[in-house]
Amino acid sequence: MPLPPTEAQRFDTVCQFCIVGCGYKVFKWPVGRDGGPEPDRNALRADYTKPLPPLGDWISTAMHTTVTDRDGRQYNVVITPDKACVVNEGLSSVRGGGQAPTLFSPERPTKARLAKPLLSRAGQHVPVTWDAAVDLGARVVKAVIDRWGPDAVGMKFFDHGGGGGGFEANWAVGRFFFSGVGTKTASIHNRPAYNSEVHAAGDAGVAALTNAYADAELADTIVLVGSNAYETQTNYFLVHMVPNLNGSTLERKRAILGTESVAPGRIIIVDPRRTMTVATAEAAGTPDRALHLQIEPGADIALLNAISRVILDRRWHDVGFIRDHTEWQTFEAYQRSTLAVDRPLADVVNEAAKIAGIPAAQIYKAAEWVGAPKADGSRRRTLLHYEKGLIWGLKNYENIAAIVDLALLTGNVGKPGTGCSRMGGHQEGYVRPAYPGGRPALNVDEAVRRGEVKAYWIGGCNPVLTTLNAEAMEAAFKERGAPVQAVLDRTEGRPVGERVARIVDALKQGGMFIIAQDIYMTATTRLAHLVLPAAQWGETNLTSINGERRLRLYQRFMDPPGEALPDWEIMARFARRIRALYLDDNNPLMANRFLDFDWRTEEDVFIHARYQFKGDGSDPIEGYAGVTYDLLRRLGTNGIQTPTRIVNGVPVGTVRMHERGRFQTPSGKARFIPAPQPWPGYAAKVAAQRAQYPFWVNNGRTNHIWQTLYHHQHVPFYNDHNPMPHLEIHPADASKLGVSSGDLVELTNDVGRVRAMAIITDSVKRGHTFMLFGQPRGAAGELVSDHVDPTTTIPYYKGAWAAIRRIGPQPEIAKIVSFLPQNVAR
Amino acid sequence: MPTRRHFIKLGSTGVAGVLASQSFVPRTDAANPSHYPVVAVAPLKDVGPGAAIVFAYPDAGSPAVLLRLAEAATNGVGPARDIVAFSTLCTHKGCPVAFKPERKMFICPCHWSTFDPAKAGALIIGQASQQLPQIELRVNNGVVEAVGVSGLIYGRHTNLV
Repeated sequence: MPLPPTEAQRFDTVCQFCIVGCGYKVFKWPVGRDGGPEPDRNALRADYTKPLPPLGDWISTAMHTTVTDRDGRQYNVVITPDKACVVNEGLSSVRGGGQAPTLFSPERPTKARLAKPLLSRAGQHVPVTWDAAVDLGARVVKAVIDRWGPDAVGMKFFDHGGGGGGFEANWAVGRFFFSGVGTKTASIHNRPAYNSEVHAAGDAGVAALTNAYADAELADTIVLVGSNAYETQTNYFLVHMVPNLNGSTLERKRAILGTESVAPGRIIIVDPRRTMTVATAEAAGTPDRALHLQIEPGADIALLNAISRVILDRRWHDVGFIRDHTEWQTFEAYQRSTLAVDRPLADVVNEAAKIAGIPAAQIYKAAEWVGAPKADGSRRRTLLHYEKGLIWGLKNYENIAAIVDLALLTGNVGKPGTGCSRMGGHQEGYVRPAYPGGRPALNVDEAVRRGEVKAYWIGGCNPVLTTLNAEAMEAAFKERGAPVQAVLDRTEGRPVGERVARIVDALKQGGMFIIAQDIYMTATTRLAHLVLPAAQWGETNLTSINGERRLRLYQRFMDPPGEALPDWEIMARFARRIRALYLDDNNPLMANRFLDFDWRTEEDVFIHARYQFKGDGSDPIEGYAGVTYDLLRRLGTNGIQTPTRIVNGVPVGTVRMHERGRFQTPSGKARFIPAPQPWPGYAAKVAAQRAQYPFWVNNGRTNHIWQTLYHHQHVPFYNDHNPMPHLEIHPADASKLGVSSGDLVELTNDVGRVRAMAIITDSVKRGHTFMLFGQPRGAAGELVSDHVDPTTTIPYYKGAWAAIRRIGPQPEIAKIVSFLPQNVAR
Repeated sequence: MPTRRHFIKLGSTGVAGVLASQSFVPRTDAANPSHYPVVAVAPLKDVGPGAAIVFAYPDAGSPAVLLRLAEAATNGVGPARDIVAFSTLCTHKGCPVAFKPERKMFICPCHWSTFDPAKAGALIIGQASQQLPQIELRVNNGVVEAVGVSGLIYGRHTNLV
């Protein structure tokens, strides 16, 4: 393991992967100029002459790699967790601790990176120049706007932060499609439309990310609904929640909370599986302080509302908070319809217990843990968190409303040790001109299938793999892409104007021109006509916020492969070309929609976007008024928490939202979001599938790998752990099906079919299974119907039912994969 | 700075073991041309079913354990190919990992990384980004010997200090 010399270049960055955004330091130095093990001979000033004690600055092999810059020089790169970062305090997760092998190298599997723009020709993709790619793509997009209007240009792009996103990329993409093209046919990387994942929180006036990570250290009770935090928000759980559970933060609680009763924290985990989060929560504290509510699919609304009803009946709700900070009429409506106050409490609780498959006694217990006053009569500080179990649940809008309402009922927002927040998947970094469409947003997946999208531009996501009803999406891409492909093949060598005219003919016949922008070839880029190579994390400066709104600069430390460009620059080149084409057309009105894409650097984009923010307290949570790259460089991996306010000309961060009891509504008061009834039940399409097929196919992320393994498929440590999509299945169910761990099984339903590797585990209940959601060799989206919540156009990704049959054993895979339980902490 | 936040439950290793007699004199012979020392861990006849023998390799500062598992294992030696050995320093942050025979896995008490001794120390679940380093073994004249290490041991920039 080469050690960085004292003169190694140093960069501050943040992990490219999950929402937590751990701080990392990057060291870069020429190959052959290593440092030494003595403290004064290496950049970490650590003593490597003898083995380090536990928790030391150890550089594992997963933290080191070599890269080759564009000038041909070779460098060592070490990416190691930053002890000075308050988020992770020097800890790495399995993913963050292994970022080095994901860097581009011409000598390793990451050489698969896209390096040149490509045009599809006769079943292959051949390199073309950027000028040619931009010219062709710009002309087609313009032709579509001119012939069919802006809405015929569709897009599906990332909108998140961290790797593959960030404020710069998001601003450029938004300006291009909303200010420039002006299309409503826009959608987000993981769903069919352009909408919030948490509309109900916004309607309530509550931010999506309300608390600081430090609040998890102070809470009396932490509630996780649909979040497997150990695996998917790892260091938030390990560094901030676990010390609360094991009593390590008692001193801190006393120092900050004064004379109030304090105790080691409790945790409620609402999850249909007994996950590693449940096991480690029990091991961290004592099992009597961890309550696992092993819930039936779709029942969260009933459960949360029943808990709220118990709290109301017991008079544990925060009367003062509700009176002073919420809109009174909404509270009355909420009591009547959501909490069904006209019905006896026992009826409401028993009904919820039945729907949720949770004993009524546990519902009463959960209500105590959330809302009962503490020993000295003070209010219990409860931190409420939720993620995809709720967001992709039965009915997105009411799901989120139920938990936000519970937070408002108990006044658990804006105080230390409280909050109501998404746990998060990706990091965030959203800043765009307003989306021109309305709510509920247009379902772009369906528009594509209906042939209404003439040009479809996909950026940094893989919908052919991951979208719901994925087979139908793939078929649509192939069917509609084929006529355009035929034209491209026939017009090879012809002048571009003629090619575009023939492409338009094909579009008239129902064809679709597909542009895909990514870092690797994927199932989606393979079906695109024009493929654009993007630069990634580490190859371009980017900024983002994490789950506690901590804004940092992720510094560039190496060159992208070949001719790959940052997303912001790709959008800018296309915008400038479209503008020139409209000027040639004597159409200054349209040309002027594509003005101001002349950014020279990432910071130009960052500053341009910053004009959206006023810094007067009215900004959205992402607001970074007054912030510059220079300031972020000085703040290192601790950054500043958004939204910022300008105070005496200087940006000041926001530790905790809603601290002064002000909410994001016209009245400044929060709103309860009443539901028409305590539980909406399954939609007809879902109920039909549920009746027809025996197994519930839950799906989601897993600890070891990130998203669709776009990097991890190229790194053996990660790929070999999850070489195939896996399916967790209960031992009794496996036995009935004749299935052993490692066997190939096939899942089928009325939507599609997919194959996976069985893993027998008691983490799931009988009749329930759990599948990794987006493994390239098979995605859960094949089974998910196109039903969406009509209020929000959000799919019920967690709501698929299927039949399962055994295909056969896979001895080669069984040799390398461990089937020992993944929910054991002792 | 990791202080009270990092709950280190350094209890017993949970391994019922016998400290093997060890010989640290590096031997070079045709079968072992590398720089790794050859260390006798235990006579093969003393490695019975369920054995867990604590030793140190490649030097006194590197704790390790020899296990006889219930079934054949990747890189296992012995007639049933079920004898394996691993460094017992977690490749996350270096806490000592404990082998739990009833779970058939190593479990780290610090952040709960777990490793499978039957699959070359593969991470089952947890926060290490590297598998547990496997000690290469051979049986020589009825003695189980440690002859090398696959993977970087925690706390070191090179296994041989």
